[in-house]
Amino acid sequence: MSSCCTVLSPHEQRILEEQQGIQNFAGRERIYDILNTFKAERPKIDVERAKYFTESFKQTEGQALILRWAKAMKHIVENMTVYIDDHQLLAGRVGYQGRYGILYPELDGDFLDLALEQMPSRVESPFNISDADAKVVIEDIAPYWKGKTFHEALTAALPEETLKYTYDPKDPLKSRFIVNETASFRSSIQWVHDYEKVLKKGFKGIKEEAQAKLAALDPFSAVDTMEKKPFLEAVVIACDAIALWANRHAKMAFDMAKKEKNPVRKQELLDMAERCAWVPENPARNFAEAVQSQWFTQMFSRMEQKTGTIISNGRMDQYLYPYFKQDMDAGILTEEKAIELLECMWLGMAQFIDLYISPTGGAFNEGYAHWEAVTIGGQTPDGCDATNELTYLFLQSKREFPMHYPDLAARIHNRAPARFLHEVAETVKEGSGFPKLINDEEVVPLLLAKGASFEEAYDYAVSGCAECRMPNRDTYTSPNAYINFPAAVEMTMYNGKMKLHGDEIIGLQTGDPCEFKTWEEYWDAYLKQHINFLKQAFIQQHTIINLRAKHFAWPTGSALHDLCMNECKDLHTPVIEGGIDLGYFEFMGYGTVIDSLAAIKKLVYEEKVLTMAEIIEAMQCNFEGKEVIRQLLANAPKYGNNDGYADEIGKALDLECVKFTKKYSKELGVHLDLRIVPFTSHVPFGKVVGATPNGRKAFTPVSDGASASHGADVNGPTAVLLSNFNTKNLGYRERAARLVNIKFSPSCVAGEEGTEKLVSFIKTWCDLKLWHIQFNVINRETLLAAKKDPDKYRGLIVRIAGYSAYFTDLSPDLQDDLIARTEHTSM
Amino acid sequence: MNAKNQVNKKMGCVFNVQRYSVHDGPGIRTIIFLKGCPLSCRWCSNPESQYAEPELAFNRNKCIGTSECFRCSTFCAFDAISEAADGKISIDRQKCTKCFRCVAACPSKAMHTFGKMMSAKEVLDSIESESMFYARSGGGITISGGEPLHQIDFVEEIFKEAKRRRIDVTMETCGFADWEKLQRAAGYMKSILFDIKSMDPVKHEEYTGVSNELILQNLQCLREAFPDLQIFVRTPLIPGFNDTEEDIKAILTFIKDMPNVKYELLPYHRMGQQKYEYLDRPYEMIEEKLQDETYSKLQSLVSAKREIH
Ligand code: SF4
Ligand code: SF4
Repeated sequence: MSSCCTVLSPHEQRILEEQQGIQNFAGRERIYDILNTFKAERPKIDVERAKYFTESFKQTEGQALILRWAKAMKHIVENMTVYIDDHQLLAGRVGYQGRYGILYPELDGDFLDLALEQMPSRVESPFNISDADAKVVIEDIAPYWKGKTFHEALTAALPEETLKYTYDPKDPLKSRFIVNETASFRSSIQWVHDYEKVLKKGFKGIKEEAQAKLAALDPFSAVDTMEKKPFLEAVVIACDAIALWANRHAKMAFDMAKKEKNPVRKQELLDMAERCAWVPENPARNFAEAVQSQWFTQMFSRMEQKTGTIISNGRMDQYLYPYFKQDMDAGILTEEKAIELLECMWLGMAQFIDLYISPTGGAFNEGYAHWEAVTIGGQTPDGCDATNELTYLFLQSKREFPMHYPDLAARIHNRAPARFLHEVAETVKEGSGFPKLINDEEVVPLLLAKGASFEEAYDYAVSGCAECRMPNRDTYTSPNAYINFPAAVEMTMYNGKMKLHGDEIIGLQTGDPCEFKTWEEYWDAYLKQHINFLKQAFIQQHTIINLRAKHFAWPTGSALHDLCMNECKDLHTPVIEGGIDLGYFEFMGYGTVIDSLAAIKKLVYEEKVLTMAEIIEAMQCNFEGKEVIRQLLANAPKYGNNDGYADEIGKALDLECVKFTKKYSKELGVHLDLRIVPFTSHVPFGKVVGATPNGRKAFTPVSDGASASHGADVNGPTAVLLSNFNTKNLGYRERAARLVNIKFSPSCVAGEEGTEKLVSFIKTWCDLKLWHIQFNVINRETLLAAKKDPDKYRGLIVRIAGYSAYFTDLSPDLQDDLIARTEHTSM
Repeated sequence: MNAKNQVNKKMGCVFNVQRYSVHDGPGIRTIIFLKGCPLSCRWCSNPESQYAEPELAFNRNKCIGTSECFRCSTFCAFDAISEAADGKISIDRQKCTKCFRCVAACPSKAMHTFGKMMSAKEVLDSIESESMFYARSGGGITISGGEPLHQIDFVEEIFKEAKRRRIDVTMETCGFADWEKLQRAAGYMKSILFDIKSMDPVKHEEYTGVSNELILQNLQCLREAFPDLQIFVRTPLIPGFNDTEEDIKAILTFIKDMPNVKYELLPYHRMGQQKYEYLDRPYEMIEEKLQDETYSKLQSLVSAKREIH
């Protein structure tokens, strides 16, 4: 299909060609060979990490937790299977070949029995496990952790009142998704290490530092003896452990090389052996060693702790650059070789799956979603532009090999070079939606306002799906509450009850809304529910912060952190002197709440076309036979359209949140800032919320991130940005990320002109100081989905010169026409 | 009486405001679609643009149906709405007085109005927050239609107000208007989108209802009178009407010696079909599809021309 009407995104073009067998992998043979080893496989669970971790913990009871952790890591790397994958240039995987996940029984081992039964048949993110491995889990692992997991401790520690918003009071294995904790299915929020430290010092250097500190301890000090000593000893053991692990790979590569017949592969294996014998123990001497060293560090980290959405990679184009430049100048590296090595790493990432044992964790991360952000671009610590030649290679790799991994994140600032913006736009156009963009103009001032120095703030790294970290200044690791505010709307309508839970009174009894005479009365009632949710979230967080230090320790994670090393404190310690604690709470269903309140304000109190009783009745029966009411509600003002009516409510909601946290987070010693991000967990949260006054049907997804409700943004992408801008309270610093997804039709971005326009759009986004943006270039699948489910895609505009209409307004015949002639011509 | 006219002159009938437009003029733009057009092109994809007055439209897909709803009928004082065989409604266009009470009553927006009377200030107020996108992309607003020159007083009001707010303006015109009107508008613009549909006056009249003489003459005058104005000449490529090499070559020849002119083909699409149904108007658009090969062939003609320049 060529032509007037076809603008395939290059990503789709490639898939199409792959289907037709016209593969063009020139220069990427190795990469596709590796890809083919695991492409369509269902992930397997590998139990070795959990098994050896448990074995060691049985031996070390009574000792300091961090020491136990370090010893467990050592025990794991002494005993686990090591692998060198075919074709691979990097060594270091922590489980079975193919796609795999590992277990962290210390976190949620109480779910293990149940999970193993359900795992292969789970709808979201299924996993396979062999019978033999299942036996190990059931007989050797699970029994030890009964009564010891963080999850159990948390359910026991939460006050009864808070518990009912968190779990089913009768069955704490079941999350309620109202005020939901996320601390029991991950040991930390998203996190980034200071990888540069490893590359420069090597773990040997860190170990020597710890040894020097040990030698300098005051033998008469109780704190030195009881706290600092075990910490430093743990660091020494952990440094030894990672070196040992690398060495086992060196030996294996060497043995394989001896047997290898193919001289090319033989040399590759010998080179690998040499690298693994040197890094990460010693400082990296060249680019290949730097990449290998980083890879060992992040893989070891994955075994050590289950950080949220998998450990992030930091500013890779910055800390790898000196090695890249040195090798390029010396003529021992080419751009092709550099890309190949990086793609070997991406393929390693793609195989490690963020496995969640608990159904809650699985639901949060549907489709094995993980976000091990690789940050590129941005500014240097002294505030200059940071892009370099390596930055462009990351973009090139994403264009030419658009896998979902890594989660590439480009930092944009208002002096970003034209070439960078242009290549970012070109990469976005490839159709896979990467890179996502993070805005220095929003992030840096906020970090400064929260206490960072300029140097630290300029040097932040993207972490997880939208957050940012200063690896030597951030000290907060506690996972935070996700708050289902659409449930607060429901409770306002049903006087404290929820449709799903029948007569159980969960929220506050704010009165029968039919009695409310004015919008102000209604708004007050909603706010009571809203603030009560915040209160419960903060109580949860207080419990979690104090509980975690008793359950988790992180020897290498702490060893890589300046402040932890200074204070000789594990990263999980509630307070680390000199640190900035950047936490958050998550506003689920922002668009759903705004739209619901806007509809009530307008239709009940202003235009008086509906009564509260009519709306409640319609909600009760999920709008069955109440289409007139549903349509009236659905056509009320909506967030995401640069519509002042809805946006004003959005801003008031934002204000209530930032005011609350301004007042109450200080006493927790943490910035618990308002974050509006999640875009897979809006599904499970929607599943507990009955019909809402925005016309949303019961138990369907709530709105995601800071996006409009599905299909509600009918004014195009500029209006989505403006609504986001309009609803922020810029006078407050108590905000974290907002996630914005923008859909573009390929014709909007086609050609050089399209790139230019996309660049302008990005510049405007940057000047609007919006935190995050990610683009989706609409494809055939989107159109098919829109045809099937028009309600969700009402905002999809067909853009043709001199003409405009909404896709879902077209007849099926015309929709087919558009789908067929395009992919997307002309939209 | 005079005063009233004065007000009316400054109000215009707008049927759509499309934000984030990237195909109609430089940069990121907002298109303001005005109602009323002197041509009646058979392929018109915006039938709602043709008449100058607001019109009642009915989107069958969105209608809830009379078993649950029928609110429109309750509100219609003229008995113009009845139940249709498919359980939805039909409008008796003879009886309808365009009071639009049914539109206000319809919960699902199945009933809607094409065309809203707005002042230039209202138009600008509604789009000014987008101006930061214009400023960063070299964009602005594009007045389209219909034929904007049909409402030249209103257009001039918009242009004046836009100038005051430092917003770039352009216009998409079919070129069929008194030179005086075009001249008035051209003074405000740095660029203009000008349609040339065919060089053949007979065919032009047959397919659009008017001859092309005035249009061609206007383009020439425009080129001479406003040498700095960037002109984008555009041809909607319509199968069976102008999709031959001769047609396109003739247009290319006509503009060959005009400086500061860019040329673009707009491939035919029948996406407007739905809107004919909304208006209960017969759909007489061309069923034939534009062939991919035809388009590529003609497109390469255009590219070749570009190289010569
Ligand atoms: S009011 Fe609207 S939805 Fe109801 S029957 Fe009339 S056209 Fe259909
Ligand atoms: S516009 Fe007025 S007259 Fe026409 S159908 Fe609607 S209510 Fe009846």
